[in-house]
Amino acid sequence: MSTSQAICAGWMEIPNSAGAEEASTEQVEATLAALVSQHSGTLYRVAYSVLRNAADAEDAVQEAFLRVLRHRGTLHEVRDYRVWLIRIVWNVVLDRKRRQKTRPETDDVADLARVLPVEGLSAEERAAAAQHHAHVLGCVDQLPPKERQVLLLSAFDELSSVEIASVLDITESSVRSRLFRARNLMADLLNHARSLR
Amino acid sequence: MNSSSHNPMSQDSAKPNEPAHTVDATLQLIARLPVPEGLEDRIHAKLRTAPRRGSLLAWPMLPKFADTGWMRTAAAAAIVVVVAGGGWSVYSRVERPQPARVIMMPAAGPASGGFSSAGAMRTPTTLNAPVLKHPVKKSATKAKKAKTAGPGGQSTAVSNPLDSIAAPAVK
Repeated sequence: MSTSQAICAGWMEIPNSAGAEEASTEQVEATLAALVSQHSGTLYRVAYSVLRNAADAEDAVQEAFLRVLRHRGTLHEVRDYRVWLIRIVWNVVLDRKRRQKTRPETDDVADLARVLPVEGLSAEERAAAAQHHAHVLGCVDQLPPKERQVLLLSAFDELSSVEIASVLDITESSVRSRLFRARNLMADLLNHARSLR
Repeated sequence: MNSSSHNPMSQDSAKPNEPAHTVDATLQLIARLPVPEGLEDRIHAKLRTAPRRGSLLAWPMLPKFADTGWMRTAAAAAIVVVVAGGGWSVYSRVERPQPARVIMMPAAGPASGGFSSAGAMRTPTTLNAPVLKHPVKKSATKAKKAKTAGPGGQSTAVSNPLDSIAAPAVK
């Protein structure tokens, strides 16, 4: 069946103003491809910092790009693609985190052991490092949500405090004060855990 | 970029604080995680298989000038009007339930000796009213008598003229 026949039969959509739309579609697809290649790594790490699971983080990144695809008409209005994408993936990740049940710490340890860099570490050292990191992340999870979010995002070198403020939709001074509180709380939690041992 | 917009953790991490360093080390380990192989390809594949358009179908035989936004809006408005009009016509034809007939029952009177009045009204027989017998003249003569009895003397007559009004002479 030819295109015209398919259109007449009613199951194919009529292309509106073919030339200009095709050109803009190609442009959007090129922009999307560039965004994926430039920022998918950062988005994956941001997602992993909250979800602590490689598969979940990858799903979150894919969902974020699907949201971008759905709103591709507004792509030209975006000023800073990186911050915009991080904000999208951050919302996706928080939604998922809210829905999923609390993961046991053993899952975190196993996943961390899988993703940790292996250079110069024996199997025992690697297991011990994974356990230590999982313990620290457990303490991070005990922080209040606002402080925890700022602490997690501040670990990314490529994000300035202005950008963190933009992602979280707060002021820069709030970022600083929350980070200060988060650090103090983390110090208390880790000292308390150490004194119990 | 000015100094205030730098990453806040990189500034604070200069403090020689052991717990803070532990936290930084762990969080930065995650922040520098290697990206899984083929992530970009999988994202591209996902984007390729995603539905491109919404489920808005085009009318196949409609001329091009009619396939515009305002035409669709007008069609949607017409559908709304038809549905609302149909609903109203059905509603207006439905017979409304009649209000229930109320039969007034006579109020039950106070039971006296087990008999009821059966709704009969009792009309009391009117009596002849007492006739007033010129009270003003009589009281004037009594007041004259009281004056002759003197100021300190006991008077048997009615001193207050209002008393006579209050207790009129009944024939």
